[in-house]
Amino acid sequence: MRRGILFIALLAAFVAGPAAAQTAGHFYNVDKEVRFEGTVREIVLEPRYKGTAPFLVLRVEEAGQARTVSVEISPSWFFGEDVHGGEKVKGIGSLSEAADGTRTIIARELQIRGKVHTLRDKRGFPGWQGGSRGRRGPRRFGIS
Amino acid sequence: MMTKTMKRLVPLLLAAAVSAQGGTVYLSFDQHSTQNLFQTREAVSEQISAFSLALEHEISALSLLANVEYSAFRQTDGLSFLAADIGLDYMVPSGARSAFYFAAGGAGAFYSRDYAAFSSLGASFLGAFKTYLAPSSILKLQWQGAYASYRDALFDFINHTASLSIDKYFPTRTTFKVDAEYGYKYFLHPFLPEPVEAAAGSSGTAVMGAGPGGGMGSGSGSGSGSGWGGQRYEGGSGFIPRYSATGGGAGIGHATVSFLAAQGLGDVVGLSASAVKQWIVSGENPFMSIEEFYFVRNPSADSFSWEGHQLTGRVTLNIPWSVEIKAGYTYSDKSYPGVESRSLDGLPLGLVRNDLRHLFEARLDKNFRRLTLFVSYAHIDNDSTDPLFAWKSGYIMGGFQWNLPSGRKGGLS
Repeated sequence: MRRGILFIALLAAFVAGPAAAQTAGHFYNVDKEVRFEGTVREIVLEPRYKGTAPFLVLRVEEAGQARTVSVEISPSWFFGEDVHGGEKVKGIGSLSEAADGTRTIIARELQIRGKVHTLRDKRGFPGWQGGSRGRRGPRRFGIS
Repeated sequence: MMTKTMKRLVPLLLAAAVSAQGGTVYLSFDQHSTQNLFQTREAVSEQISAFSLALEHEISALSLLANVEYSAFRQTDGLSFLAADIGLDYMVPSGARSAFYFAAGGAGAFYSRDYAAFSSLGASFLGAFKTYLAPSSILKLQWQGAYASYRDALFDFINHTASLSIDKYFPTRTTFKVDAEYGYKYFLHPFLPEPVEAAAGSSGTAVMGAGPGGGMGSGSGSGSGSGWGGQRYEGGSGFIPRYSATGGGAGIGHATVSFLAAQGLGDVVGLSASAVKQWIVSGENPFMSIEEFYFVRNPSADSFSWEGHQLTGRVTLNIPWSVEIKAGYTYSDKSYPGVESRSLDGLPLGLVRNDLRHLFEARLDKNFRRLTLFVSYAHIDNDSTDPLFAWKSGYIMGGFQWNLPSGRKGGLS
């Protein structure tokens, strides 16, 4: 039991650790929410925000249109989910358009293989940190 | 003791959760009901309540996590345990379509009384690489290693697993996936020192708790003090260790191949079928008759203990209102090299233990924004060359998980 208490103390020290780094960058604008639907054509990892891991970004060819939009998902999805080119996706997100015409959607909700994944809450706050559905990879450290 | 620990632990964890600014806190509660806790013919019904608190925090590409859970057993109180783990992981991109992933962690499980021998501390490491060979095809390589030290050193082990998988998605919504794996588990000192009786020409085995020196100590100062031999367990019939004059360890290695085919039908239905074939390529299980060991560390959950094959069919329904229903059937034929089948009187039957299992399972999940509710049912029909392990039973589980961001990140939100 002494070992257990030591472990707990270590755990407490760990969780009381550093606060989240504040970052700057583009943001989720609820006034620019759109629905999107299309076919995944390319899957890439791209740096999106200072001080965070690169994000999984899907290049989606929009249904019935010959244009592509970049859909920003989250860092953890690269290892947490296997998204393939050719898969149909749809969802809700905040649209922004760069001066060169490049269109990007920060996804709040993504439906793939019939399952709806909530990536952010209705105000756009990220919900993809952790959780059994959102964790990056094999996050349990079992000793079996 | 466990209640005292919890009383100390809960305020500490809540304080820690509040201080984990920018991270996410997960609270979950699972309620289990089983008609056959130990999975033997001598069924023991049990109600298990499991509580867990997890914290996760991301700093750049580094993620930190901590998890504490307590499982309370209503009937078999000695099995109630506290488990905790901490860890970190790190993702390193390698170009736009590839990334490395590294994780390290420590874990502990703490039992009391009769089951204290199974209390353990451990560490694990994982390295993985994922790359898109083409947008519709993924290659993954992974290596994982683990070490666990038990209060009773007999069970101490190290293991490692290396695996490779390739999949391919087709526009017909069909996915094929092939996996290959090699794993090796090494028990560091699973043998008891050879007793005088055994050295003098006995059969080389003795029932723990039933013979001279029946305590569990193997020179490690371990055991519960009162001996934890099999007769004390419900459904148990004795722990029969192997002896060795020279000591040393024992390893068991396996090679596995598996194949999966999945088919999507519209946005609602998903079908999958998979087959697994596993061979023991070196060594064998070091414990001859291992009811007690396998009550707590169940062989069907230990990928290192068996050879044979397994076939699974599954259907997934994603219906409106964020409801997901899964149902499946698994047939498995598994042998446990090194493990003897014994009669109900404890006499060797001269057969390696072999189990044929039919598993039916169904699960329903309902997702809310921050809350997930689930209920599941499983029915297992297990036939075995060891009559103690010939059983059939049902298993019901329900619970929820609630996640709560404890702070907001600027910029991202």
